[in-house]
Amino acid sequence: MKVLCERETLREALTIATSVIPNKSTRPAVENVFVRADGDALELVGTDLDVAVRYRVDNVKLEEPGTALVPARVASDFVRDLSGETVRLGSQGSSFLIESEDERCELTTIDPDEFPGVSQFGEGEQGSVSVLGATFSRLVSRTSFAAAREAGRYAMHGILVVIEDDELRMIATDGRRLALASATIDRNGEPLNQGPAIVPTKAMQLFCRVIDDPTEMVEIHFGENIFGLRTSKAEVFARLIDGDFPRYSAVVPSSTENLVEADAVTFGKKLKLVANVTSVDTRAVRISLEPGQMKILGRSDSTGEATAQLAIQYDGDPVDIVFNPDYLIDGIKNCETDVLRLEFNQRNTPGKFTLGENYTYIVMPITVDT
Amino acid sequence: MDAFYASVETRDQPHLRGLPVCVGGRADQRGVIAAASYEARGFGVHSAMPTARALKLCPDLVLLPADFDKYTRVSRQIMEIFRRYTPVVEPLSLDEAFLDATGTERLFGDAVEIGGRIKEDILKETGLVASIGVAPSKFLAKLASDLDKPDGFRVIQEDEVRAVLDPLPVSKIFGVGPRTAKRLESLGVKTVADLASRERNEVQKRFGASGAWIHDLAHGIDPRRVHSQRIEKSHGMERTFVKDISDREELRLILYEFCEEVAWDLRHRGLRGRTITLKIRYWNFKTLTRSKTLEYPINMGKRLYSTARELLRRVPAGPVRLIGVQVSNLSDVREPAQNDLFDQGDPQVARPDGGDGRMERATKALDSLRRRYGRGAVIPASLMARDRVRDRASEGGLESEGQVP
Repeated sequence: MKVLCERETLREALTIATSVIPNKSTRPAVENVFVRADGDALELVGTDLDVAVRYRVDNVKLEEPGTALVPARVASDFVRDLSGETVRLGSQGSSFLIESEDERCELTTIDPDEFPGVSQFGEGEQGSVSVLGATFSRLVSRTSFAAAREAGRYAMHGILVVIEDDELRMIATDGRRLALASATIDRNGEPLNQGPAIVPTKAMQLFCRVIDDPTEMVEIHFGENIFGLRTSKAEVFARLIDGDFPRYSAVVPSSTENLVEADAVTFGKKLKLVANVTSVDTRAVRISLEPGQMKILGRSDSTGEATAQLAIQYDGDPVDIVFNPDYLIDGIKNCETDVLRLEFNQRNTPGKFTLGENYTYIVMPITVDT
Repeated sequence: MDAFYASVETRDQPHLRGLPVCVGGRADQRGVIAAASYEARGFGVHSAMPTARALKLCPDLVLLPADFDKYTRVSRQIMEIFRRYTPVVEPLSLDEAFLDATGTERLFGDAVEIGGRIKEDILKETGLVASIGVAPSKFLAKLASDLDKPDGFRVIQEDEVRAVLDPLPVSKIFGVGPRTAKRLESLGVKTVADLASRERNEVQKRFGASGAWIHDLAHGIDPRRVHSQRIEKSHGMERTFVKDISDREELRLILYEFCEEVAWDLRHRGLRGRTITLKIRYWNFKTLTRSKTLEYPINMGKRLYSTARELLRRVPAGPVRLIGVQVSNLSDVREPAQNDLFDQGDPQVARPDGGDGRMERATKALDSLRRRYGRGAVIPASLMARDRVRDRASEGGLESEGQVP
């Protein structure tokens, strides 16, 4: 193999491939990046056996095709620290050479056949759908914060992706709050239904990372137990979480009795203020509503009590509801509109926050036995 | 109280007086002695000794099964007597308590006077003999009560602390067990006086934080207060089997039963817990514990069991001698609780009047049935037709300890 490429594009490609590659694996081959120079392209492949990325390096001059399996971390660090603008890659027997001006290294490699097989996008495959890169990224960032992080809620460790009636929808929940965002996909032709697929949150972040041009159309693919995304440069595949996602649609209240509209920034600030006195063990703030006014109260036995008030749009009866302030602050951080809407029925039924167009955030309140 | 369980039994069965009486489990069921009368102690029998060994030491031993409901009733009677004289009563067990008599002088007299009256009241009202220790600190009071046992009444005044402590062996110090005693002896420390004369720093260096503690006690320094409200740290239940059990299904059923019991006790006390610990002792006495801390506290038998069962899966197979489950990290049910959006994947159904989830409501209903018709009125179908760990007919579940010998 002999290839000439730009250092910056190679560095970027190596960083992305390496981000998937584990530092330690029971299969040593997986700790390497697979390099292929073929036709007119240079391709890097990395995987941790659950997620795989295939990344194409542009603007290369290919002198001799070939493949190599190169220690990922070292190669990535070495290329990052090179001073020249162009880099020459080449393999020589069992060594892999990286050269730039008067700097060079020779890495020991292992047999490329040891590398596990990685999925590939087929042309016009069933289950593939085109969406705008920005749309996909936006849906991920709108939902991923609500996904479960702690162990034990296996099916909630990912984002549910589904296409129903030409609408791409993503849902994430940790069992106590839930974020749901959707976007219409422009499609000429048959109405489309795909999924659902539970994609690990970590993989979702990688999907977003390879979308470097938000105006570009990307292709997403719902496979048997795999979810894939293709941009002009990259293909990423993730093994799906095999579990039952909770019945999310049923917790979104269809009709509500109480409606509050508040300035999102002010609400967020005051929540944060009051939350300072609540303790780690009992993160709870009481929201008391009266016509035109909201009072936020936080207290803990050990620290004390704090209150704050703000003017709101509300014309119902006086009512109280208690929430974990962290959940509300998470939602407000992602709020895309100036005015935040909160709707709920009772103090023990889910609160529904509208954070933007086609963007709903559901939070289960805290109950205090009286 | 002196030989509490055994004394209660001889009181109720006067023909056993003067005989070596023990309360405990049967030898053929691997029982241990829970309490031994002073006559039995004469043969070297003591509590926590395997019954089989006790019978070897004293073949004429009168062994009686434990009747915890009865002891609990007597215990309540005794605690009632204590509270006549001071509200600051800290029970240590069913038959022991610390009392703080500060400020009672004008009502009942000083601590010595109160001690005498309590001893008298107990004898008159329960027919049992108590040993009393009066001293300026908890450690000394407990020590004093043990010094003249049985039927003791010992006062340690401020100015006689040294004289009482000095000749005692170090093992009398609370916190000095057989191992520490041995280590101390190797350093030439045998009596409390020996320990007290050592440099505090030296003892601390050798024994860490507990070194400072035992050194303080050797000087009669014990700053602990008497707390009338004991905060429960954990609640659990364990049992040694008559025969080792290897069958996992059987172990699971036993575990389920324990979880139901412990959960009931927690609900009864208005508590919830977050950490669940499973304890397993194998045939060879190898003991394992596995625990898991949940994100939110629970007090439902089924939820408790689902975690306990998961923990059981994590321990190796083999003949099991003892199994136990414990819930810790307890909190009051009145503390705010974050509710779940889902109840096992389905949306949590809320009542219009602001009630709880389905399982909570069902449990509440079952609990009220159990309070009314007895603990056995409603039990899980899988636990039917099994020998119960506790007698279901006992009064509305007012047992105070979740431990069964």
